[in-house]
Amino acid sequence: YHGIFSLPLAFGGYHLAQLLQDETEHIKCFVEGKDLTCFWEERNNLHHQYTFTYSYENKNKMACAVSSLLASNKTIFFCKLPKTPFFTTLDVQVLRDGRMLYTRSLNAENFLFLDPPRNLTVMSSGKEGQLNVSWLPPPLKYMDDSMIYEVRYAVEGSNMGKVEVVKVSTMLVLLGLQSDTRYKVWVRVKPDGVAYKGYWSAWTEPVFGVTPPSDVDPLIVLLVLFIGLILCLLSLTVILSHHKFLLKKLWPDIPTPEHKFPGLFTVYKGDFKEWMSQNNGSMWGRSVHVYTEELPSLLEVLSEVSRTSHDTSQREEEEEKESESSDSGLTDRWRDPPHAHWLMEQLRALQENPESRCQSSLLQSHDTYVTLNQGDNEQQVDDVFEETLPLQTLFTTTGTSSLSTSHSDLGSLQQSSGSGRLSSQSSFEYPNHTWAPKGPGYAYMAVADSGVSMDYRPMSSSRIAELGRHRMYTNDYKNEICPHKWPLSGQYIKSGSESCTGPVW
Amino acid sequence: MQTFSGLVSVLIVFVWLGGNQVSPLRPICDLRVLEHFIREAQDSEVIMRGCRGGCGAMKSYFVPLTSVDFAFWEHIDVHEQAVEVQTGLSLLVQALSTAMKAVSNSRLASALDNNISNIHSLSQILHSLDLQQARSTVLPDDSAPASTQSQEVSSLPELLQVQSSFLRGKVRLLLSAAPACQRQNS
Repeated sequence: YHGIFSLPLAFGGYHLAQLLQDETEHIKCFVEGKDLTCFWEERNNLHHQYTFTYSYENKNKMACAVSSLLASNKTIFFCKLPKTPFFTTLDVQVLRDGRMLYTRSLNAENFLFLDPPRNLTVMSSGKEGQLNVSWLPPPLKYMDDSMIYEVRYAVEGSNMGKVEVVKVSTMLVLLGLQSDTRYKVWVRVKPDGVAYKGYWSAWTEPVFGVTPPSDVDPLIVLLVLFIGLILCLLSLTVILSHHKFLLKKLWPDIPTPEHKFPGLFTVYKGDFKEWMSQNNGSMWGRSVHVYTEELPSLLEVLSEVSRTSHDTSQREEEEEKESESSDSGLTDRWRDPPHAHWLMEQLRALQENPESRCQSSLLQSHDTYVTLNQGDNEQQVDDVFEETLPLQTLFTTTGTSSLSTSHSDLGSLQQSSGSGRLSSQSSFEYPNHTWAPKGPGYAYMAVADSGVSMDYRPMSSSRIAELGRHRMYTNDYKNEICPHKWPLSGQYIKSGSESCTGPVW
Repeated sequence: MQTFSGLVSVLIVFVWLGGNQVSPLRPICDLRVLEHFIREAQDSEVIMRGCRGGCGAMKSYFVPLTSVDFAFWEHIDVHEQAVEVQTGLSLLVQALSTAMKAVSNSRLASALDNNISNIHSLSQILHSLDLQQARSTVLPDDSAPASTQSQEVSSLPELLQVQSSFLRGKVRLLLSAAPACQRQNS
């Protein structure tokens, strides 16, 4: 019985021969089981007498029986030591015809060639992509805990395999495998190299194992799809029902002024001139409405003054200036020459009769002024300017004129200087630079809006509308300067008024 | 790794002190300790191979026999094995101490010193296995070693190889087959 050499082309023998091809020594040795086997190769054509001797620990040399094995073009001579001493240095020699041919010193425990592991089993662990691999070590005493294993696995039919090294333990869990796939698994063993050293054993016969299928339950997949479908339908419904709103948000309309110009685009195809000529009067009136709606900072129209009490010799220029409440920069000028002239006359009359002035003269509504062109009365310019007589007091339907002499600062003209600045309250500044008196003697009354605080009264709008139609403003408006009602702080009020009753319509 | 063997020694001492002196010590059955010592013995061999000129230690030493015949070894009683191992360890300590004094290379000297302390630790481990060997065999004594159980080597590399073989062979077999550890493993 020659061990693995009994079957020259057996799996184990062939494997060992492959392993020992890298061995540089002439004498190649391995331990199979507990016995050391050494062999060497020779060419066939020679017939020689070979002897094999070994010794250890200063003992005498011992001989070993040499056997031979014929291969294709060479002969393998080998010898198996009957009682191999381990953990000591062996000196082996090969003698050819009594003369030393090869020699070598080795420790037997360093050349172990183990049998492959036994009882390899591959089982599914139940978890996805995992396989449980377990085996038994070769039956060798004292070496159970000094072995190292190598597990090789590959998909059935594939040549690409992976290798896992396992120390001491005789089982392994393969991870990261494909689901529902058939795998081939091999194992081999080798001493770990601490107490014993050696060669890799032969691979075991492959064992097959199938990984469990994917965890994903088809029912769950269906449910997920169904719920997804429902959500899609729901969102579609929401989008469709609010599509107008969404469309407006995402694709807003470009604002056009079409609605303000009826028929401009539809009838006249954008021809503004044509449209203007057709709609002149109504546009004017309409624009008044526009102004009154969008620019509430309109003037208060003068109240009527009785013709009988005053001379009407002045001419006047009436200016309305609207302070801007927005950046529209719209300034409307009211020119009413016939009335202006009459107004100036009234003003003059009032100035000459200070006692006829009304105590309460200021506008109750906020800071609207009408500027009048000065007449010949130069010295009264400043005076009048300071007084800033409200327009309302100039005209009254009743007999007495009620021009206020109060020196309250009625506020400043909000300059539409283009700065676009709003003042939430009237700031009283004398716009001296803009209100140069054009003529002597007449009261300048800056008609302006206070700014944000518009207290535009619908009544006034109708009056203005009437004014626009060249009609007399017949508002029997009698204003009083009521300091306590004056919203502004820090203003300079010279009010001689005691009776503050507010406007009387 | 002198500290490692030192720690093991301390561990053993504490175990010995903590427990009752009459009661047996808790056996140290983990073979990884021995494997650590084996690796350190092989490190000494490596250093020795790199030593040109012998590093100054060319003497003859008496060292234990290391060969193991498995068939024969299995038939020997555990206690006899223990005695043989303990004797061998003391011989090795003697030889290594002598060699260390003569070595000129400091690296090799420290490695040898490490091996000596490892062998002391091994003695303690064997003691913990309660193998009824003689206690006073750790320290080297001047009595002549038994010739049947020793051999003579003529160089330090051989001495180191003997140490390595002895640890891997007889010492390991004894530790793995100790009855105190068998009960735990089964």
